Amino acid sequence: MANLLWLQGGACSGNTMSFLNAEEPSACDLVTDFGINVLWQPSLGLELGDNVKTILEKCISGEIQLDIFVFEGTVINAPDGTGEWNRFCGEPMKNWVKKLCDAAQYVVAIGDCATWGGIPATAPNPSDSEGLQFLKRAKGGALGENFVSKAGLPVINIPGCPAHPDWVTQILVAVASGRGGDLTLDEFQRPKTFFASFTQTGCTRNMHFAYKVSTTAFGQRKGCLFYDLGCRGPMTHSPCNRILWNRQSSKTRAGMPCLGCTEPEFPFFDLAPGTVFKTQTVMGVPKDLPTGVDKKGYMKLTAAAKNASPAWAEEDIFVV
Amino acid sequence: MSDIGATRDEDNLREEIAQKLKAGLKTEVFPRAETSAAVNAIIMRLREEAGANVEKKLVIGGFTDHTIEVEDIEQPCETCMYYLVHRKFCELPELMLPVEPEWSCRLWRI
Repeated sequence: MANLLWLQGGACSGNTMSFLNAEEPSACDLVTDFGINVLWQPSLGLELGDNVKTILEKCISGEIQLDIFVFEGTVINAPDGTGEWNRFCGEPMKNWVKKLCDAAQYVVAIGDCATWGGIPATAPNPSDSEGLQFLKRAKGGALGENFVSKAGLPVINIPGCPAHPDWVTQILVAVASGRGGDLTLDEFQRPKTFFASFTQTGCTRNMHFAYKVSTTAFGQRKGCLFYDLGCRGPMTHSPCNRILWNRQSSKTRAGMPCLGCTEPEFPFFDLAPGTVFKTQTVMGVPKDLPTGVDKKGYMKLTAAAKNASPAWAEEDIFVV
Repeated sequence: MSDIGATRDEDNLREEIAQKLKAGLKTEVFPRAETSAAVNAIIMRLREEAGANVEKKLVIGGFTDHTIEVEDIEQPCETCMYYLVHRKFCELPELMLPVEPEWSCRLWRI
């Protein structure tokens, strides 16, 4: 049996909604098959008011062993570093977060807001939001750079807007079943099993990327979304085209550009007008190139690939 | 010709455009669209001023019948993302014109 507590800071509940749609394993499987005891969760917990506070206090005192502390949403520091804009059970949420993280065996941050601040931390960041151990790309966050939980791991970051439900449940199962020590994390503390590959890995448009044929409108089945519609699939670490959404699709498969939501900079360009769904260019060359590709190499590859493209690559081959 | 190649109408229009450019049609070759904001501004002009008028598309797009090189970057249609190689056609929604591979316009992107 592993005790799990889930709290929410500055957030939209999107990650809770995502979590409840998990399939492999499902949220119910966590309880029935994997021995996770959900002490409290904002959308599932039955307790209210002082009864919730009692659970939190018992976790902090050690009366209840807190095996997994899950946090969704940003840590809000406004106004003036007090965190009073986000009060919970009688005190600023940021205080509960600090005490619960110190008490937990494992700390798991779910979604962009909890990992690196996400949309709430976008400039000018009026709520003075930050993630548990990052603010965008800068390490530190609410817990500080050197924080490790009782199990000896830093915060396990599962980013996304929202995070895919099965990324969440599979990591929770790994931790609850005593395999937390087997997790390898990347430089942003994301489990490598999910975040070493790119969104582009497994994308059905890869042939169009290879032959440099562009999609020119949303929903088109033909063409690659990177060249014109701002798709960040080639430089975003996520398994969105390996572990499909609703087990059947992904943004790019549906003709919608990847927004790069598992990367610390999301939302990119601070959502300045004209930057969303539009590939940013400098003299016709994309500002952000596929990871590991330089401008000279990109231009050579593109010219050669375009020249070699077969006729079918320019047509919609997905006949209904 | 395959069914996905250029149609006769497109061939005729391509030839008509070639004649216009050869005859010295003055187009807005410069400034090139250096930034995404500049691209968006030209796109908006194409929508509002050109519509379906081919000559206005050529003028606002800054078409030439030869390749323009800017900052050591050659910008021929044949390497542009909107160019369909087998149809010799520009698929940018606001242009949608038959072109030749060595032509150029200021909305070129790779």
